[in-house]
Amino acid sequence: MSSRPFRSDVNFVVRIGGEAGDGVISCGELFAQAAARTEYHVFTYITYPSEIRGGFSMVQIRIRDWTIYSMGSRVDYLVVFNQESYDKTISGLREGGMVIYDPDTVTPEPSETTRFFAVPLTKLARESGISGPGKNVIALGALGHLFDIDPVVLKKLIRDRFRHKGDAVVERNIKAVETGYEAGKACGWGQRFRLKADPDAKASYMMLSGNEAVALGAIAAGCRFVAGYPITPATPIFETLCRLMPKVGGKAVQMEDEIASISAIVGAAFAGEKVLTPTSGPGLQLMGEQINLASMLELPVVIVNVQRGGPSTGLPTKTEQSDLKFAIYGTAGESPRVVLAPSTVEDCFYQTIRAFNIAEIFQVPVVVLTDQSIGYRKATVRIPDFERFHFMPFHDLIEDNPVIPNPAHIDVVSRLEPTSEELADYKRFRITDSGISPISRPGTPGGQYLATGLEHTEKGHPDYTPENHQAMTSKRFRKIEVLSNLLEKNPREYYGSPEARIGIIGWGSTEGAIREARYLAEQEGVLVRHLHPKIVLPMADRRIRYFLAELKHVIVVEENYTGQFAHFIRARFGIRPIEVHKCQGLPITPREILAAILNVARISDEQSITRL
Amino acid sequence: MSRASQDYKSAVKPIWCPGCGNYGAMKALTQAFLDLDIAPESIALVSGIGCSGRMSHFFNTYSLHGTHGRAVPTALGVKAARPDLTVLAVGGDGDGLSIGGGHISHAARKNTDITYLLLDNRIYGLTKGQASPTTDFGHKTKTSPFGVDELPMDALPAFIVYDATFVARSSTVHVAELTELLKAAILHKGFSILHILTPCVTYPVFDARTLKAALQPLPEDHDRKDKMAAIVRGYSTSPVFTGIFFRTEKPTLEERLERQAQPFAPERSGDELDMLRKVLYDFS
Repeated sequence: MSSRPFRSDVNFVVRIGGEAGDGVISCGELFAQAAARTEYHVFTYITYPSEIRGGFSMVQIRIRDWTIYSMGSRVDYLVVFNQESYDKTISGLREGGMVIYDPDTVTPEPSETTRFFAVPLTKLARESGISGPGKNVIALGALGHLFDIDPVVLKKLIRDRFRHKGDAVVERNIKAVETGYEAGKACGWGQRFRLKADPDAKASYMMLSGNEAVALGAIAAGCRFVAGYPITPATPIFETLCRLMPKVGGKAVQMEDEIASISAIVGAAFAGEKVLTPTSGPGLQLMGEQINLASMLELPVVIVNVQRGGPSTGLPTKTEQSDLKFAIYGTAGESPRVVLAPSTVEDCFYQTIRAFNIAEIFQVPVVVLTDQSIGYRKATVRIPDFERFHFMPFHDLIEDNPVIPNPAHIDVVSRLEPTSEELADYKRFRITDSGISPISRPGTPGGQYLATGLEHTEKGHPDYTPENHQAMTSKRFRKIEVLSNLLEKNPREYYGSPEARIGIIGWGSTEGAIREARYLAEQEGVLVRHLHPKIVLPMADRRIRYFLAELKHVIVVEENYTGQFAHFIRARFGIRPIEVHKCQGLPITPREILAAILNVARISDEQSITRL
Repeated sequence: MSRASQDYKSAVKPIWCPGCGNYGAMKALTQAFLDLDIAPESIALVSGIGCSGRMSHFFNTYSLHGTHGRAVPTALGVKAARPDLTVLAVGGDGDGLSIGGGHISHAARKNTDITYLLLDNRIYGLTKGQASPTTDFGHKTKTSPFGVDELPMDALPAFIVYDATFVARSSTVHVAELTELLKAAILHKGFSILHILTPCVTYPVFDARTLKAALQPLPEDHDRKDKMAAIVRGYSTSPVFTGIFFRTEKPTLEERLERQAQPFAPERSGDELDMLRKVLYDFS
């Protein structure tokens, strides 16, 4: 057990804090981007206030020579622009950590275990003739020196970033980054850290946020119509798609509200396009009625819900996993839908493709649940290998492949259309074994049909007879049963030792933290198995029962107050899991999960723990 | 190949009460399709909820009977995705002025190239006779047992103020006139609204005879480009004018979307995967 991947040589966390408007986040992003162009992996976490100016803003960058699963539990290097950010974050600094501060705005508390370096950001910015925000580029220069990033790389980043603002701005910022680099040199850091430049790094990785990954996944899946209404923290998905849609021949329309947005995509799906709308909790609530309609009309629509802290307007810029119940149960009557939860930035790309495939094949609305922490997190992601991309006709599908895009095998599937024989007596809602019936595209002669939210016959005509309602409800849900059976064939989604008697179940963005907690627990001699379903509705029941049957204790970890997923598991599988909730608007950390695991280990008997 | 009115008729039997004005609207719409020779498969008919919402059931087109008040944004999605289709939205006074009222100004602002038929009978018929936004002041209904104590909404002038590029009024008691106006609305490039007065026979607020007496075509010299004149005549209650009140041209949503994508056409000309690669490499 000595060569666990978490024991890598390079593994550190840089945190930059300041007042919103100081340029803290762009400083952090530029630094992360510079680091991403080395041979290392990068992972960021961003938090900011809901106001445009003022308030505490922070970006955290983790750099490691191995895949990064979480934001980390402690900080190695702290860069603070003001006293508030110093006061709020100093407790997270590890022993022996380093603080870089602006002596004009921060008075640090002396400490024997911390090394302090003053870099006069405000003064230098003033001297180089750049007003306030220039501080962030000075700090970037200083960090560049500390981590031995070639000034050429830094200057190129500045050029890329500010090019659209004109030459004068580029020149001022290049001067600032040079000033910062020199100021860093003057600090006498002692040992510096080398981030070696890797010429291949750019070719195999890109740095993406979860929101950007969703947008790119949608484009790769063939989405060509997007309607949306801005809402934090889902807006970057919409912004990215507004920028990219025209490039791929698609369309993006900003609507007057969320109801209009989902109405427009329902219309566009009816018209034959692959469609998406991005939103967050309150927007999802408004969309409820139309999601229900899409389910009844059997139209493929994808809704990406980037969860934020609730209820109501709640914590718009903070993270939470609290829209699960609404996504699963928020419906008038019983209407099938599918709910997916990507777990990493890379997964946001692949699960979005999967969401489109499922929507198209099964003609159902698919809700993709991400959250603020994964949406705004930036991480190095392998560039998808398009040699492995397959555009599949519907008929080649189903038996054992399905709908599981992953880096090794990316299928893109479109809906089943009627054949000319079927059009001779076209029944849009024909009752079939799988529940899936061919869907005609407007413009197709003979394919005309009525799509009504009223209960209807195979032809689409209103029909309220008891037999018809039962048969049609069964048809609509049969599609979900077919999907559920397919999921049983998916590659396993659980990790960890087969001897473990403690199991941990999570969903969505907590995967990395849970995975790291598992490694930490194993170091303490406690074995844990970890299940992380990417599709949370429906589930592969048999496989999950199998997972559960081998365990003595099951912990469900989630970022909400009431334990929404735990309740769902409890209702579906009749078990009583130990619930671990965090409801602070912040992502759960590996150490918080570890504490829960160790608590369970302590209360359980000898057999449940295998000492190493 | 010439089509017959039968080609536009679906197998669903109308649910409207005998004598309902909506039959007139259905007849006029069928005639408009016939006269313009539009293939049934290239028509998308989107409707909301209520008696008028059932209109989409009775046509052999691509028909979508959706949710209350959302016909306009739904139709906008259909048209934006598929500009080659003839797209119509149908709703009533409750659907279009109450629950879905907020959408109309934005469809007008975007100038999506759809035709919106607002069938106004000044009552909620399908829920059995409650007050609507256009029910007359003082009229007694089950939800206004002491008489409606609010002024009815004057929808047509509002549509002109919203900058809809085609605003017209007609009624189901003059099918020939309605047919002509429908044809003009469908041919209009941009958002066209047709305010259609249609008497309800079961919960009547007005009847066919009084409607006929109140209606009068707009004067011959009415200038369709004169917004102020259109608003003034739109407010008139005696007579109630019919015809095209206002008409103008401006770029449609669909044209603007097409124009956005146009400069990137060369990038899209190659292999689909190449196009995706280019988009992704932006981020590396």
